[in-house]
Amino acid sequence: MTPDPLDALRLPIVPVVPRLEFAAALLRRLEERERPRIRRTATVRYFVNDLDAAVAFYCQNLDFEEELRPSPVFTMLYRGDLRLLLSVPGGPGGAHTLPDGTVPEPGGWNRISLQVADLTATVDTLRDRGVLFRTDVAVGVGVTQILVQDPSGNLVELFEPRAGYHERAPAPGQGGSFG
Amino acid sequence: MSTVSVRYIVNDVDAAIAFYCQHLGFREEMHPAPAFAMLSRGDLRLVLVSPVGPDQRGGGSRPMPDGRKQEPGGWNRFMLEVSDLAGTVDAMRNEGVHFRNDIVTGVGGKQIMLDDPSGNPVEMFEPTRPEARLSIR
Repeated sequence: MTPDPLDALRLPIVPVVPRLEFAAALLRRLEERERPRIRRTATVRYFVNDLDAAVAFYCQNLDFEEELRPSPVFTMLYRGDLRLLLSVPGGPGGAHTLPDGTVPEPGGWNRISLQVADLTATVDTLRDRGVLFRTDVAVGVGVTQILVQDPSGNLVELFEPRAGYHERAPAPGQGGSFG
Repeated sequence: MSTVSVRYIVNDVDAAIAFYCQHLGFREEMHPAPAFAMLSRGDLRLVLVSPVGPDQRGGGSRPMPDGRKQEPGGWNRFMLEVSDLAGTVDAMRNEGVHFRNDIVTGVGGKQIMLDDPSGNPVEMFEPTRPEARLSIR
């Protein structure tokens, strides 16, 4: 039988040993491409007088989760794409007393605004739990809203979008808060 | 899609827009009324409002039912991550931005507080520990 001239070009057959580590690493890389680890998050710092009371308030009433509490005067909470840092005045770093001796304090009018699906129902539930509101539900241009007070007197705004609400579309190829 | 925003009370919305866009990299999303503007920077949406009277439009900046007026200031603030805090602060001081304190080193990073034209604080920080970085949870 005449040898096939193409045999000279054929590569030898090498047995392939399955390598689980390689497969796992490849899968991980593919998943990371699909779902980037990079998560950009808006960060806000609030001052509170009582860290435990504040954590209980934000986690029980407003769906925050405590991420880490590296010290008795600082904690980091998350709610979706918001990171909320709670600091006790006079602590280290961001809670630092100013060079002129001024100590940061809770309160003021600047606030985070959290979107809820049904403002009326949310307000009813929170009122039943004894949460304090500084206003009644107010109808604005793009949203209906209300001001909640945390145990230290900081404000949180809850809003429900109305027809005129403006929501910026995510950039192409990006979903949700990943970017 | 972002479901959170931060509302700051300012005395002059136009001056605030100029400040946040020129010095801090914000983009104007809309400014449909003199007392209201919406800016964005990454996933942070910043709503700027100036106080309005009880009968005016703008549910977010009207006085309280008990008559108390909303005003700028306080200590609660949003934070912006920068990679070179000292360099950023130097550049911004040269642009005339007012800082409330000097750079302090905290648990997770170095930070400083600056004032917007209405006296609202903004914190800038440079993380020194991986878990303090904004970009990785």
